[in-house]
Amino acid sequence: MSNQPSSKGSAPSRVAAASEQNAQNSTRWVWIGIAAVVLVVGVLAFVFTRSDGSGSGSATPDGGAATPGVTVVPSGKVAVGPIVVTGTQLPELANGGADPAVGQVIPTIDGQTFDGSAMSIGPTGEPTIIMVVAHWCPHCQREVPFLQSWLTANGAPEGVRLVALATSNDSGKPNYPAGQWLVREKWTVPTMVDDKASDGAQALGVTGFPYFIVVDAEGKVIERTSGELTATQWEALIAAAKSGSAQPTA
Amino acid sequence: MIAAQTVTTMSFFFATLALLCWVAVVLIGVGVLVQRRSSRSIALLESLSADIRRVALPLAWLIAAVTMLGSLYYSRIQHYIPCELCWYQRICIYPFAVILGIAAWRRDAGVRVYAVPVLAIGAMVAAYHTWVQAYPPVDGTSFCTADAPCTLRYVWEFGFVSLPFMALSACCCMIVLLLIARPAPRTATTSESS
Repeated sequence: MSNQPSSKGSAPSRVAAASEQNAQNSTRWVWIGIAAVVLVVGVLAFVFTRSDGSGSGSATPDGGAATPGVTVVPSGKVAVGPIVVTGTQLPELANGGADPAVGQVIPTIDGQTFDGSAMSIGPTGEPTIIMVVAHWCPHCQREVPFLQSWLTANGAPEGVRLVALATSNDSGKPNYPAGQWLVREKWTVPTMVDDKASDGAQALGVTGFPYFIVVDAEGKVIERTSGELTATQWEALIAAAKSGSAQPTA
Repeated sequence: MIAAQTVTTMSFFFATLALLCWVAVVLIGVGVLVQRRSSRSIALLESLSADIRRVALPLAWLIAAVTMLGSLYYSRIQHYIPCELCWYQRICIYPFAVILGIAAWRRDAGVRVYAVPVLAIGAMVAAYHTWVQAYPPVDGTSFCTADAPCTLRYVWEFGFVSLPFMALSACCCMIVLLLIARPAPRTATTSESS
């Protein structure tokens, strides 16, 4: 990076060259300091991100209640999962009017979470809220961190099982794969990966994202809703799961 | 799993560098203020200031190059899709990975006349994008598209460091470095014109 004067021999140029040499010597330590700081940052990045287990934390793949702030969805290569649906498919959520699925038992969906561990969504004997999200959907991209903040602040709701279904997985759309997105968001809710045809979402009658299905302990639908939720609406869903009936939010 | 861990490590690394950019901006600002306000000269500060001014131009180039490489890492290797606002920031930063390199080689601090306005535009776009990602409007923004939503936080380190925040940090640090960069020595100019 030197640019030495070309006129050799003259006194001014020799002085300038000497001055330049001194300047180079004095700035050398600045470069060494900068290199050292960058090296330290690199080492810290490696140590902090490889030792806290954030990339390999294990959720409860059987769908047990997540412990917010402690576990995240496991990283893994499963971007599109195998899905087996048994039981009767829920009808689609009608636009206005009563939801025809209320009172109907949800089908059982057997699949995998992101690391290939088996996971099941279906009647389990405890009230459950099922969240359906799509990696490319801007509303889901806002709702997931919002709900995660709520869970981190309030803890997992007692007596209510939370599960999620990552559906509409498409490598041609943004934010793919869903697993990396949810790990980035430190998502603590056990999440199943839907198949290429989104059979899991279809079995739940999903018509938009994000999508929420509240079911009672017997697996019967209490309430379904679609779209971003406010904290009040989310708490109303939890209350509905606990009480067994839909709760007003206003 | 390795890919996820790698991007986590890289994001931590870039986010920390972004914070260090702000540390540099603050320290340089304080140093300049102290030098201007102080009636007597402080030898250590003057010596340090002279050294920093000498390395300012190549350091600004280094920041531009690292910013460009980081941006390419996320889009080409991690396949994060740049939104419209990301592209405006790229337009304002990428050229300086070359231009500032040439200026550093030629010791042409006069490049600030051309670079600072463009980087200031990049900083303004990045500031707006940072705000949008920190407080996503419910209805999105006019820049948001379903294919590449500008509200999507691909990176969110330390609870506030996003990709546009990194771009903002780089732009501000480069602007400050260019403003304090030592002008080209007369000897170099003479040799080039001879």
